[in-house]
Amino acid sequence: MNENAPVIYAENLIKEFGPVRALDNLNLNIASGEVHGFLGPNGAGKSTTMRVLLGLLRPDSGTVQMFGRDPWRDAVTLHERLAYVPGDVELWPNLTGGEVIDMFLRLRGSYNKARRDELIERFDLDPRKKTRTYSKGNRQKVALISALAADVDLLLLDEPTAGLDPLMEAVFQEVIHQAKSEGRSVLLSSHILAQVEALSDRISIIRAGHIVESGTLSELRHMTRTTIEVETERSAQPLAGCSFVHDFHTEAERSVFEVDGDHVGEAMNLLTDLGIRSIVAHPPTLEQLLMRHYGEDLSQRGVSNGTAKKVS
Amino acid sequence: MSVSTISPEARQAPSPAAGQATFAGTGILLRFMLRRDRMRTTTWILGIALAGFYFAHAVSVVAETEEDLVSLASMYADPVGRMMVGPGFGMDAPTYERFYASGYSLFIYILIALFSVFTVIRHTRAEEQTDRAELVRANVVGRHATLTATLILTLGANMLAAGLILLAGVSADYDAAGSALVAASGLAVGLFFAGAAAVTAQLSESSRGASALAGGLLAVAYLVRMGGDAAEVGGSGLSWASPLGWSQQTAPFVHDRWWPLLLLIGSGALFIAAGYWLSTKRDVGASLLPSRLGRAEAKPSLGTPVGLAFRTLKGGLRGWGIALLLTGLMFGSYAQTILDAADSLPAEVSEIFAGEDMMLGYLAYMAVFMAVFIAAAGVSGISQLRGEESRGRAEYGMSAPVGRIRWLGSHLLVLVVGLVLMLCLVGLGMGVGAAATLEQDGSQYFGQLFLAGALQAPAVLAVIGIVTALFGWLPRAATAVGWVIIGFGGVLTSFGGLLELPEAVTELNLFGHLADYPVQDIDWVPVLWLSGIGVAGILLGLLGWSRREVNRV
Repeated sequence: MNENAPVIYAENLIKEFGPVRALDNLNLNIASGEVHGFLGPNGAGKSTTMRVLLGLLRPDSGTVQMFGRDPWRDAVTLHERLAYVPGDVELWPNLTGGEVIDMFLRLRGSYNKARRDELIERFDLDPRKKTRTYSKGNRQKVALISALAADVDLLLLDEPTAGLDPLMEAVFQEVIHQAKSEGRSVLLSSHILAQVEALSDRISIIRAGHIVESGTLSELRHMTRTTIEVETERSAQPLAGCSFVHDFHTEAERSVFEVDGDHVGEAMNLLTDLGIRSIVAHPPTLEQLLMRHYGEDLSQRGVSNGTAKKVS
Repeated sequence: MSVSTISPEARQAPSPAAGQATFAGTGILLRFMLRRDRMRTTTWILGIALAGFYFAHAVSVVAETEEDLVSLASMYADPVGRMMVGPGFGMDAPTYERFYASGYSLFIYILIALFSVFTVIRHTRAEEQTDRAELVRANVVGRHATLTATLILTLGANMLAAGLILLAGVSADYDAAGSALVAASGLAVGLFFAGAAAVTAQLSESSRGASALAGGLLAVAYLVRMGGDAAEVGGSGLSWASPLGWSQQTAPFVHDRWWPLLLLIGSGALFIAAGYWLSTKRDVGASLLPSRLGRAEAKPSLGTPVGLAFRTLKGGLRGWGIALLLTGLMFGSYAQTILDAADSLPAEVSEIFAGEDMMLGYLAYMAVFMAVFIAAAGVSGISQLRGEESRGRAEYGMSAPVGRIRWLGSHLLVLVVGLVLMLCLVGLGMGVGAAATLEQDGSQYFGQLFLAGALQAPAVLAVIGIVTALFGWLPRAATAVGWVIIGFGGVLTSFGGLLELPEAVTELNLFGHLADYPVQDIDWVPVLWLSGIGVAGILLGLLGWSRREVNRV
């Protein structure tokens, strides 16, 4: 196995389900040791991508490799190095949570029982209950524990915290940080922006089966806008006419507006001339990043939502 | 006094409106349940009615003459027959209506009991288990509204079913009072088991557990009356210890006793009252019996694909296995009765049973019949695998380093071994049953009957092969085709001799090719080609599964 190969390398992946194009020239690169946030709304193709990476689906065209190997052909070899948490965790109803965790760990080979017990403790899971009595959050904990306790190089996590409460969400962030410090790679799909923001080294935003933006959080911020709230001695109204200022609102001496990332300096110069009494600048949130790709084209988003059920 | 220190008396003292308020929303809930259940309950009612009409009218078709009737009645008059169907009132002077009440009414009652249990549990405990009850109870809905609406629904449906049962009896020109008594007994059994389910729904945290408790009561009721009715004609003291026994002690068309129904209605009402009372002693979603905890760690055997497959398929295989073993025992224990009645059976019956030796012919036929059921268990197992795939457990399991072929191969291995065991169990059951009841040479037949069961394996394997091949290549069609094969095999095995179908059609029945051992000698040719279909189908299925996409939407 080529150790220098990227953990995940996908180029121009296309996957169609009948008339629906679930993956549309998707490109994705994840380096070793990287936590990669995979952001997009439901039905954008996140789960389909995961299932291609697991070798459960075969792309219609394009290249996909994990650790330099073909996930369809070498599924079993690759699965020795990865663990997967499905988006909608279905467990075997007559097994207990502890039994499911042990089963997965044993199928993967040797495992560290202390680590398993510690994770069960940290996630506050009762491993003696039959999984048919578990809530969605508890089923997700089972899948997370069996993935995190395994000695693997890559974690494929498909919306892993959708059913967890805020306390468990915090535990999740801790253990992902820990996994990262151990040198593991993580592909973390989510539509919870704060989570991706807190954990990811790099982020890819997927829309309608296509990666529309990819990079580190700061790289992505350059492409977008900073929000400025300012109180000035003279009216800031003249800024409204600038091409790099957007959504300008003013109320007496207080103004709120957005500035394109690469024009913040110019805006500051203009404001200084007006006499700044107070100023607050917000970096762009991921909500704004997403809104830029979805909000401006609601009609297209409607289309991809309409197909959401079929492809996710 | 602050709010938090309200005395227990003050808390329990009902306000004037409390009595009505606990039932608030019953009407709306009932309409909601009717809407949700319109297909399911209608199907159940029609199914029960259909069984009633079929039983009421089938008697005169099976036994055309008085002589046929007497000889058939003797089957239900002897201890083994009484053990299966009831106390056998009036079988010394049988009429069609008496034969209907003695031989078949029990099955109608059991259907009604099952319907009542399932309906009550589905609307009470199952709703709580899925947290839907919480959503409902958050509205202006009283504490007792759900249970009340559920019981009204169940009893209303039972009344409709009972009305149709009455119609079934009357339409067959049976005595109206007796037909009404059969219908009323069914209704009373329904009330009793609806009440029992209203109690078990409070006891267990899972709907499965609650159904199992109430269903277990039904099974015990059946077993107790088995012992009671086998002991004496008209039932013994033990029969009176069973609610099913009470329903049969009404002796419709013979004594026409109505008063045993009071036992059913009285204890049913007590159960219902207990259900209401117990429901106030617990929180929503909680149970009175602590839920059983399982193992915190898996046994070593679970850590392999075969271990997983075993745990997945175990429940279904065990259920089928127990049912088929008991059925085999039952068929086998009829051996002496058949021997006695061999000369006087109606011509239609002897046309179905092959061979000269009536008793062995009958058991050889039953072995084929049971093989159809075992193959059905196999189809149901593969449809379970389809469920594993579509519910996402297959892909989750295979996200561990478990290849496609290992995953499916392990499941098929467990399934096929389970089916072979079932075939042996059926043979064992028939062998033991026959050996125990036959007055002479019983043990001599044991080996033959055991072998007769096991020798059906190639036909079962062929069905598994065909369905597995489809699972690999045309997964959507697999289960449907499987059930068509089973249905076709079942019809041809049951009625093939009477239908006078062209040979080209009967040849298609996979269950019609093996020799009728022990009446005929074993013919190895069909054994070989049926096994060939099975093995080739399984290999083809594994190949298709390793090449197709998993759970493609």
